Amino acid sequence: MSKPAQETPDTRKAPRFGHTELPDEQEKALRRAKKFEWITLAFLVFSTALVFAVLGNSQAMKAAWIEDLLSFLPPIAFLVATRVIQRRPSEAHPYGFHRSVGIAHLVAAVALVVMGAYLLVDSGIGLLSAEHPTIGAVQLFGQTFWLGWLMMAAMLITAGPPVYLGRVKMKLAEKLHDKVLYADADMNKADWMTALAAAVGVAGIGVGLWWADPVAALIISLSILRDGVRNLSGAVRGLMDARARTYDDAEADPLTDIIDRYLQELDWVAEARSRIRDEGHVFHVESFIVPKGGRLPPLECLEEAREGCIDLDWKVQDMVLIPVAELPEEFLPGVAAAGGAR
Amino acid sequence: MAGKQYLHLSMLLGGTLAVAGCGISIPTDPEGTLDRISGATLRVGVTGSGEWVQLDAGQDPAGIEPDLVRDFAESVDAQPRWIPGSEHELAEDLKNGELDLVIGGLADNTPWSTHAGMTRPYAESTDKRGEAVRHVMLVPRGENAFLLALDRFLLEQKVTP
Repeated sequence: MSKPAQETPDTRKAPRFGHTELPDEQEKALRRAKKFEWITLAFLVFSTALVFAVLGNSQAMKAAWIEDLLSFLPPIAFLVATRVIQRRPSEAHPYGFHRSVGIAHLVAAVALVVMGAYLLVDSGIGLLSAEHPTIGAVQLFGQTFWLGWLMMAAMLITAGPPVYLGRVKMKLAEKLHDKVLYADADMNKADWMTALAAAVGVAGIGVGLWWADPVAALIISLSILRDGVRNLSGAVRGLMDARARTYDDAEADPLTDIIDRYLQELDWVAEARSRIRDEGHVFHVESFIVPKGGRLPPLECLEEAREGCIDLDWKVQDMVLIPVAELPEEFLPGVAAAGGAR
Repeated sequence: MAGKQYLHLSMLLGGTLAVAGCGISIPTDPEGTLDRISGATLRVGVTGSGEWVQLDAGQDPAGIEPDLVRDFAESVDAQPRWIPGSEHELAEDLKNGELDLVIGGLADNTPWSTHAGMTRPYAESTDKRGEAVRHVMLVPRGENAFLLALDRFLLEQKVTP
């Protein structure tokens, strides 16, 4: 069933996910994604340092700062995972190392949920106990002025760049079918709201509305918690081998249908159905085929069908074809209801 | 989309500046401490602490910090009223809005930060163990205009113990 190994010294260095060699488009996207994740990390070092320097007693600023700290996780997870999954499957790891993406995703999601919940409770207590946030003076360049101005400035300075980074990474996530990158881009894109909320909270303190600060902190914690829960359910769904979905989890991945249709159109095939699991970037595909006339086709036909499927999409590499007398309901839930072919 | 987001940001910033221009000074005290004390009484909790605060029965407090407070009170047209007590009593009074200011040789790592806000450290001394002590005063939480006025005043002084 396996493709003959085509290893030459040149291709061994080519970027790959496990034994999947990346097409040019994906290779370029991967390089860009890595570059932009490094840029993201550099920006985060700058913004966390800046925000920490002006943190003061504002709960909203604290929440925004913790969100900044948490934003380190997805880029690090992505960079580590893309390194790990380059390793080829081995005897000890016959399916390769693709699941490292899912593990990284899960870890980042749990961190988001825990910190979001903590901040929610912390800010809620601050609001209920009517703690008035105290912000005094700061001395800078020989001037003494209110620290709140610096806080707002820091928030507005750090609001813009993540939006741009998020938009770039979103496109790359689609090309690479990378859910960690998608989650990261999605969080970046929403980052300006956090910054704005914190700035509004501090402005509220400025005009004497002490509750604006804990309310802003509550909004930020809710957004962290929401990110966490969404990512957690996505990560768990992936690790549970749920049906493959598109990079943004919006819908079932169309590839299942495309593969089934391709197989059904082969002249020796009566019926074909596949189940696909998403290993992180690449798919593991098991296709059940009922040959016409109940007779096994020559091996070349099977081999050809497999090659054809692999050529359909770069994500398909690890694929098995299983000739069967009839489509097995136990492996293909819903097959009977759908009446075989879709 | 990004353009729209920046539009919102700039609208907010503009709004903030507009508010600032409309006579509300930023920061503002939620409980109006700074407004209340000008032309009236500044309630100062005092607790004895070496050269920083000296308490003698029948006399106004003396020492570095009472002198500073007198000068500050004058700068905002207020009359200090001195209320002696233990740190605990004073911190509780401050928390419950019965005092405007607490002095007593307090440092910026004071455990009473749970009850009060504090000024920026305005002087540094060395304790008998050779560790640096950064001196602060305690203010009611969240009275930021009052705190800013006090901070501005204290940071202009050259206080050397």
